[in-house]
Amino acid sequence: MRESGSDPYQPADPSRRELLARWGPATLAGAALAALGLALVGRPGRHRPPSAEVSAVAPDWRLGPAAPARMAIAGGRGPRDNVARAVAAVGGMAAFVKPGERVVIKPNCAWDRTPAQAANTDPEVVAELARLCFEAGASSVVVADNSVHDPERVFARSGIADAARAAGAGIAHPKNTGTVRLDLGGAVLGPWEVLRPLAEADKVINVPVVKHHSLGRGTLGMKNWFGAIVGPRGGLHQRLDQVCAELGVAFRPTLTVIDATRVLTTGGPTGGSLDLVRHDDLVAVATDPVAADAWGASLLGLGPAELPYLAMAESRRLGTVDWRSVATTV
Amino acid sequence: MKVRARHFRVATQVLFLVTFVVLFLGLAVTRVPGDVASFLLAMDPLTSVGTALADWTIPAWTWVGLVVLAATAFLGRFFCGWICPLGTLQHAVSWIAGPERRKRPKINRYRRWFAVKYLVLAVLLVWAALGANHVGWLDPIPLLHRGVASGLRPLWFGGITPGGWVAFGLLAAVLLLSVWMPRFYCRGVCPLGALLGLVARLAPVRIRRTGHGDCTGCTLCVMACQGADEPLGEHRVSECHVCLNCLGSCAEDALVYAPPGSGAAMPLQPLDVGRRRFLVAAVAAAAVAPVLRATSGGQARDADAIRPPGALDEAAFLARCVTCGACAASCPTNVIGSDLGATGVEGLFTPVLDMRRGWCEPSCTRCTEVCPTRALVPVTAAAKQAIGGPAEVRIGTAFVDRGRCLPWAMAVPCIVCEEMCPTSPKAIWLEPAEVRTRDGRTIEVQQPFVDPELCTGCGLCENRCPVGEHAAIRVSSVGESRDPANRMLAT
Repeated sequence: MRESGSDPYQPADPSRRELLARWGPATLAGAALAALGLALVGRPGRHRPPSAEVSAVAPDWRLGPAAPARMAIAGGRGPRDNVARAVAAVGGMAAFVKPGERVVIKPNCAWDRTPAQAANTDPEVVAELARLCFEAGASSVVVADNSVHDPERVFARSGIADAARAAGAGIAHPKNTGTVRLDLGGAVLGPWEVLRPLAEADKVINVPVVKHHSLGRGTLGMKNWFGAIVGPRGGLHQRLDQVCAELGVAFRPTLTVIDATRVLTTGGPTGGSLDLVRHDDLVAVATDPVAADAWGASLLGLGPAELPYLAMAESRRLGTVDWRSVATTV
Repeated sequence: MKVRARHFRVATQVLFLVTFVVLFLGLAVTRVPGDVASFLLAMDPLTSVGTALADWTIPAWTWVGLVVLAATAFLGRFFCGWICPLGTLQHAVSWIAGPERRKRPKINRYRRWFAVKYLVLAVLLVWAALGANHVGWLDPIPLLHRGVASGLRPLWFGGITPGGWVAFGLLAAVLLLSVWMPRFYCRGVCPLGALLGLVARLAPVRIRRTGHGDCTGCTLCVMACQGADEPLGEHRVSECHVCLNCLGSCAEDALVYAPPGSGAAMPLQPLDVGRRRFLVAAVAAAAVAPVLRATSGGQARDADAIRPPGALDEAAFLARCVTCGACAASCPTNVIGSDLGATGVEGLFTPVLDMRRGWCEPSCTRCTEVCPTRALVPVTAAAKQAIGGPAEVRIGTAFVDRGRCLPWAMAVPCIVCEEMCPTSPKAIWLEPAEVRTRDGRTIEVQQPFVDPELCTGCGLCENRCPVGEHAAIRVSSVGESRDPANRMLAT
């Protein structure tokens, strides 16, 4: 090393420490920038559309595809008694709900309407089902729907909130519960947000009400699954039959309970005027969702030909449109 | 620690701030009576005076504001120092981040431009007297309420509007200015403070010198002063917020807040705004008023001016609405937004419905229950619903845009608007039609029509229309029941 001189044009060689002090910070900053660049260049970015690849699907809540289809129709003695007898006739709730299981009941609880207007499932049907589930040992029962109108108002006015609470069941709707992204696995229905309690349920009971509908002509169990999903549902009506069949594949309930206590014969699915309501006082309980819907359709005077989704569902091996072959009347 | 008057004041301020928050949240809870949830708005004197001038009425509970005004004639601006939540928030901002102590004697001196607030008040009252009630734009209670309702609330519920940004910006500016000067807004701008300040000049109970204490000119009182009302020099009762900080801060006990007889009153100071200035402001305001009015409040009707149910006809509505945002905060579907532009200058911050954000829930009447000035008069759920016949209360009419509607324009089946329609019979009905697709197939679709007599304008059809942003069925204000002239049908 040369002697350090005082001539600024002939500076002494810097010491190692001076070199570090001179070059170190810039080098570090450069390295940090390079690292940041290497880490981020070409990445897809933080804000991406939700992934189309969702592996989770809704569980199969059926007892087992091998179990023989059972269906019972009860009528004439009021909703609670009809439900109790029909459930007993298909083997009793204990055959379907095991002690400690979490049960979700999915009524049609979509509209800001009173029970008399028949736009929603009758609250007594819901209450009786909840009671039977608890009797069978269910650890929890949640009544869930994605209402069309303001859900708090709908659950209150439909009488379903009070009925559920009186039976000890909880209620769930998008304002008080979250959603889970599930792959519904259809051609039209891909990944959708689904009400969380459904994704976590051990057993599920689908409880539609029989109503007229201007596009599908009737709205029954498979259309009822519109209330399980959360998102822009309006576009699904362009391929309603396909969508209903796909919903039937995605959501496989333990039981389908068709509420025909009151039937909204026209002006559905909202109704309003009491003149549109027919009092049938009937309830059907079925393990076969296709047979259940076919029976409900018959109350509206509709056969399988008028409801193409029934044949689509049958061809997907979800059940039989020939409800008479499985049903008993009690 | 000696308990001083100041401690009671702080406790009262905190109490009213908490009350503000609780009542605000209560707006959306139907179990809370609407008039309770909007009570802080009803006890605002400027709301009462503005509405009384503009519409010659003291609606609902707004008479309480006049009681506050009367009390001010005895006690001074206690409302500013003890109750006003916007004052409390500014107070808190300057307490946390305000000027440092050594700068306070200077920043807390009275300034002549503080008299601007009296001109603001004069302009707003002249406008109100001419039927253009805009006191709510700058009245601190609606200003705070609106900033929270349409500015902050959307952070949780979504749907902020341009009016909401401005409302929040105004609130944020008011609070931030207190970093520079404590209670900048109260001192220099607030029209409610000005109104109360004018009345406070009558107050027998005010800050007085005791005479037995010896003022040493230490400026401790000035450092603590909220209103910049010169407790050390010639005290200005019209600026004093009755915060009572000066009393406690004085080491010599030279000041009291008391009725006559307990000390020497300080001579009443003239307002720093002469009769000429008042006159000029009043005349200028009167000249501008017709220009404000030459918008929707006149004869022109705006398709986008969809008002909440129960709204009075536009002129009466504008004379009553103080743009507090209570209706927006009470709405379960969040359909009510704060307007900027759609309803003219006059309609700034007034509530308008945007059916893409929400819809008017058929059985809900909450907004009409919470409106403190009854710009929305209470209606029954039955009157809104069109079950079995036309509804008594309608907010507009839906129109199908056949150029965007899927069955009309795209040969794609869709019935969502009809499915959603909540009236009975449904105001939207479907006609089957055979249409040819591009590849030559003939398919049957159902095309929607609207029955204008049955449509209530609730907007659920527009809200759920699958044609994204600009729906293929949209509500406009024509047919609204509040304005018989804004109609299309002869019947």
